[in-house]
Amino acid sequence: MISRIKLTVIFLGLGLIIAFVPENTTKPYRLTASEMLDEVQYGSELIHPDELAEWLIDKDPSIQLIDIRSSDEFEKFHLIGAINIPINQILDDEWADYLDQDIKMNILYSNGTTLAHEAWMISRQLGYENNTVLMGGLNYWTETILNPNKPESTSPDDEIAKYEFRKGASQYFGGSANAQSSSKVSKSKKPIIKRRKKKKKVPDGSC
Amino acid sequence: MGPLIPQEVIGEGWNFFIAFAVGIGFGFVLEQAGFSSSRKLAGVFYGYDVVVLKVFFTAAVTGMLGLLYFSLFGWIDLSMIWVNPTYLWSAIIGGIIMGAGFIIGGFCPGTSVCAAAIGKIDAMVFVGGIAIGIFSFGELYPMIKSLYMAEYLGQVKLSKIFGISQGALTFFVIIAALIMFWIAEIAEKKFPREEY
Repeated sequence: MISRIKLTVIFLGLGLIIAFVPENTTKPYRLTASEMLDEVQYGSELIHPDELAEWLIDKDPSIQLIDIRSSDEFEKFHLIGAINIPINQILDDEWADYLDQDIKMNILYSNGTTLAHEAWMISRQLGYENNTVLMGGLNYWTETILNPNKPESTSPDDEIAKYEFRKGASQYFGGSANAQSSSKVSKSKKPIIKRRKKKKKVPDGSC
Repeated sequence: MGPLIPQEVIGEGWNFFIAFAVGIGFGFVLEQAGFSSSRKLAGVFYGYDVVVLKVFFTAAVTGMLGLLYFSLFGWIDLSMIWVNPTYLWSAIIGGIIMGAGFIIGGFCPGTSVCAAAIGKIDAMVFVGGIAIGIFSFGELYPMIKSLYMAEYLGQVKLSKIFGISQGALTFFVIIAALIMFWIAEIAEKKFPREEY
């Protein structure tokens, strides 16, 4: 009889404690520090502006540009088709469906690369897979795509070919190469991304 | 840290080994607790032996407390734990069929295998019945699919339905379990059987 009372008290006590303790909603980090270091050093998350320009011109539907800057900056100028997720909102549930999916490849960008990289690291630590960073950010984008420098006439052929491509791209994006306004703002609606159901294993059976 | 396999702390191959070890342990405990006796199992419905009720509710409460405390200490990520999806009608009708089988046969699926393993003929017949049931369910599935899939509620938890925290729900389940144990023991005294 005594042991029953003891057990009752233990269960009630543990239950009472857990009833009043706030739930632990912190998600443990998915990557260890050394895994993270490997990823950062390998640099596989970086997308070169030339690649991005090609995809944008091809209207590749499998990429999603995400502007990490503040909404003011976003309103002033952003890349075609980009959505705005200011870095301070990166953990909001509202954006989880955009950041954590395997349908489109997200390309994060900011003015430089710091903000975008910060956002990317957070998303990696949350275990999200499909996020990349625009190499050099908008600054490098402007430098390479919108205002490409003409290479020396003695440059190797591929340099000149690259320049030709960039000049064309610059015209496409309304850069200075065709002497038009460089702030072509396109209002873009948020594209809808269906959240992929995570496949989980089904353990069955009871007693 | 946990769950260990989805977090890739240990390899997927361990799944089978762990399942095997847990299965052996589960069978051992069932047998030790006398659950391979159909009379003992049926006793819970007649009120003369309620040990089944006690064992399963104690297990449930222990599991709930364990998971919540593990989560509290950061040992397990509860968002990665599989929650069985609820198909309401399936659950109700399946529950009735299972309950009827429980009373008539005197075993539940796990204990029947356990009892068959120690050589009880009635349990072997019961396991045969389970096989027939599985086979006919599979064959009839196209006919009953709409019923099977009806009232899909998703992966709901009771705490979400009641709008309280998981901890509070656990506490109420503990209280409910204790009250049930108390009533069940009154029943044990009221409907005693000498030998079974």
